[in-house]
Amino acid sequence: MLTYISKQLLYALTVLIGVVITVFLLFQGLPGDPARMTMGQRTDAATIENVNRELALDKPKWQQLLYYINDISPLSVHELTNSNQNKYNYHTVITFGKYVLVVKSPYLRFSYQLQKPVSDMLLQALPFTIVLAFLAILFASVFGIVLGTFAALHQNTLLDRLLIFISVSGISFPSFFSAILFQWIFAFVLASITHLPMTGNLYAYDLDGHTHLNIAAIILPVITLGIRPLAVFTQLTRSAMLDVLQMDFIRTARAKGLNKWNIVWRHALRNALNPVVTAISGWFAEMLAGAFFIELVFNWNGLGKLTVDALNKNDFPVVMGSVLIASTLFVVVNLLTDIVYGWIDPRIRSARN
Amino acid sequence: MSKDEFSLSVHNLNLFSGETRLLHQVALDIKPGEILGLVGESGSGKTITSLSIIQLLQKSGLTSTGSIRLKGSDRNVLDLSEHELQKVRGNHVSMIFQEPMTALNPLMTCGNQVKEIIVQHRKLNDHEAKSEVLQLFEQVRLPDPSKKYSSYPHQLSGGQKQRVMIAMALANKPSLIIADEPTTALDVTVQAEILHLIRDIVREHQAGLLFISHDLAVVSSLCDRIAVIYRGEIVEEGDSKALMEQPKHPYTRALLACRPAAHKQGQRLPVVADFLGNDSRPQHKTISVTQEAFDRPTDAYLLEVSKLTKSYASGSVLQKAKTEYLAVNEVSFRVRRGETLGLVGESGCGKTTLSRCLLMLIPPDSGSIRFQGEEITTLHHDQLQSWRKKVQIIFQDPYSSLNPRLAVGRAISEAMLFHKIVSSAQEARLKVQDLLVQVGLKPEHYHRYPHEFSGGQRQRICIARALSVEPEFIICDESVSALDVSVQAQILNLLNDLKSAFGLSYLFISHDLSVVRYMSNRIMVMQKGQIVEEAPSNQLFEHPKTDYTKKLIAAIPKLQHENNYVKT
Repeated sequence: MLTYISKQLLYALTVLIGVVITVFLLFQGLPGDPARMTMGQRTDAATIENVNRELALDKPKWQQLLYYINDISPLSVHELTNSNQNKYNYHTVITFGKYVLVVKSPYLRFSYQLQKPVSDMLLQALPFTIVLAFLAILFASVFGIVLGTFAALHQNTLLDRLLIFISVSGISFPSFFSAILFQWIFAFVLASITHLPMTGNLYAYDLDGHTHLNIAAIILPVITLGIRPLAVFTQLTRSAMLDVLQMDFIRTARAKGLNKWNIVWRHALRNALNPVVTAISGWFAEMLAGAFFIELVFNWNGLGKLTVDALNKNDFPVVMGSVLIASTLFVVVNLLTDIVYGWIDPRIRSARN
Repeated sequence: MSKDEFSLSVHNLNLFSGETRLLHQVALDIKPGEILGLVGESGSGKTITSLSIIQLLQKSGLTSTGSIRLKGSDRNVLDLSEHELQKVRGNHVSMIFQEPMTALNPLMTCGNQVKEIIVQHRKLNDHEAKSEVLQLFEQVRLPDPSKKYSSYPHQLSGGQKQRVMIAMALANKPSLIIADEPTTALDVTVQAEILHLIRDIVREHQAGLLFISHDLAVVSSLCDRIAVIYRGEIVEEGDSKALMEQPKHPYTRALLACRPAAHKQGQRLPVVADFLGNDSRPQHKTISVTQEAFDRPTDAYLLEVSKLTKSYASGSVLQKAKTEYLAVNEVSFRVRRGETLGLVGESGCGKTTLSRCLLMLIPPDSGSIRFQGEEITTLHHDQLQSWRKKVQIIFQDPYSSLNPRLAVGRAISEAMLFHKIVSSAQEARLKVQDLLVQVGLKPEHYHRYPHEFSGGQRQRICIARALSVEPEFIICDESVSALDVSVQAQILNLLNDLKSAFGLSYLFISHDLSVVRYMSNRIMVMQKGQIVEEAPSNQLFEHPKTDYTKKLIAAIPKLQHENNYVKT
């Protein structure tokens, strides 16, 4: 198992290096003048030059790439200067001459627009997105699996057909549309009953300056974000369950005299979960990259909104940073999913040993 | 005798699906400690009879009438509610299913699966239940019971899994055990052990056993009494010995007669239709098989294989010491033109890998394959493709080896058009229709889809497909193993007819030794990737040299009380 995990980690690292290179080529490898974009059209030559030096834009492209990788890598080499010490906030490992080998958290450079470190901006937005994505996936998985199982057990009844109909409509609604629709119905038309706000964030500020959790504000974003995966999980669970219920070992379980609950819970459901787990992990990873439409509509200060705002302002370091963080999360979620597979299915476990 | 003394007593059981009658007045009585064999072919109603006894039939729209009574209860099983049935299942009646590979839950340890049935029906705490399971595992002679307790099904061999199933069936000391083809999926040596175990256990526990099988030899060696079921009706029932010696019903006689074990090579196998005298028999050009077909092998070698080796690496890329598993280990043999070479061996011995290597579907690691003197292993892609039409294969499972979305005619003509054996689609069609007739089907079947055919008919389609490219050599990989004995007889006859008509050579692979004996001129025995013995058929059976061959032959279930049933 340990060799398996270390192998997977190695793969993950390779993927991330690939992503870093791709991101660089996309945003900095193409022709264009980032310095002008940062400072606008009417900046003096000296400022432009400073920006150029900061981003190493005066060097050839391949050197720019090396600098970029060096900036991002947690293990890197820098010139031994005070400004570098401040800029990277590193811990020295070993010094040799003018250079120093250091450990640091990845340096994602500065936002063109806000002149704040990109990593700070991302770290600020990340918890909001994680909370939103986690609650949405939890909502979708629990209800999806329960409803899917229920539909499978009542195959071809009216209830089953109704559930399929609803879930097909759920899949076909684009999220920006359902977000606006839900917002309008539940936070505007029915606001006096539901008391849900139109927009808002995880924390709200009191008049006296204290912050407190704002549960009401998260309900609508979670539901709208979860509704499409919910529909997908319901259908997947239903069809996987129907397949499993046809299998020989279910007949064995019935021949043992087990009651329906035991058959479904102990024998059928775990066997049906594999495709559902695959879907859950995919959706979760995607949500972690930022639920762009939902965050925009509900004015939720997560990664998605940060990215969209940055794109609007051509703030490339922020966009690059958020692409990197999204792909890192993707890789992490995939690793976890692999471990979950092994936990569910002993056959996968022994194949890895 | 009062009703209480029967483990099972079934009377006038009828089962209807809408207007169709699936079971007709079925009656069965089993005393404690007695083994009743229920014999019939697929679709005869033997499985639905067994599932009816504990009401496990899942299809809705089924209605049954009659009575099914179990020991210790005077209530009719048909009148019980679902809740009451749950108390009967696994407690008073238990089942052993055919496929131990799929009948166990893959995600649950073997111990827990057996424990579950105990806890469900008796008030035992976890510890007591566990120690009972371990005792059961010992009773069914599972090696290392405490380790097997926490093993998952995939970590056990097929025979061991079936032992777990048997332990499960015994757990609550039921008065009736139903075993539905419990050894059909197992190797012949394992089958012998499992049958032995089942008999011992039934005698020891004084449970009644309903043993369902298509294999008369197995049934006759195990059962006290035998019932023969045909089209949902029990046509004959009686003491094993009497039934085998003096089969009364023509269907029973037919079943006995069409087994290849009862015939010499070159004799045509009788089929069920010969006995029942109905006209549903497929009309095909019969080419008479004679001894001649077996004497025909010429001296010219068609296929020469030498030192063929194929290994599979196991273990990860990162591990330095890769463990190699030799699936085929330096195998050498030769096949003459017009000869049938048999290949037998237990599952996992490398039969299938060998056949795939011969077709170059899997490239061998080393060794040479010469076909008509030409080296095949070094051919380039294009040359290989045009060579492929000379060698064809007929697979085991006619259900999964035909594309369900492709009409039969298209499936057969595909390769003909590819190899440019015919110049136009029009010509292909005429040729395919001709082939269909040759394999005993009808020209109008051209446009039908595979699901419209029975298993035997599908195998005929597969044969037609193999023949379409006019091959010289055909590999039959367990080609009749999935078929009923009467259908098997038809297909074997067809293969022999085609052999003498087209001068074909076969490599006939099977785990069923009596079929291989009937079909082959020579037989090779394969064990762990190697050919351990090779001899002319009869010589191999009469004077086996290696212990392994002796063991295989000894394990073949023999028909007990054999008599002059061959007469029609």
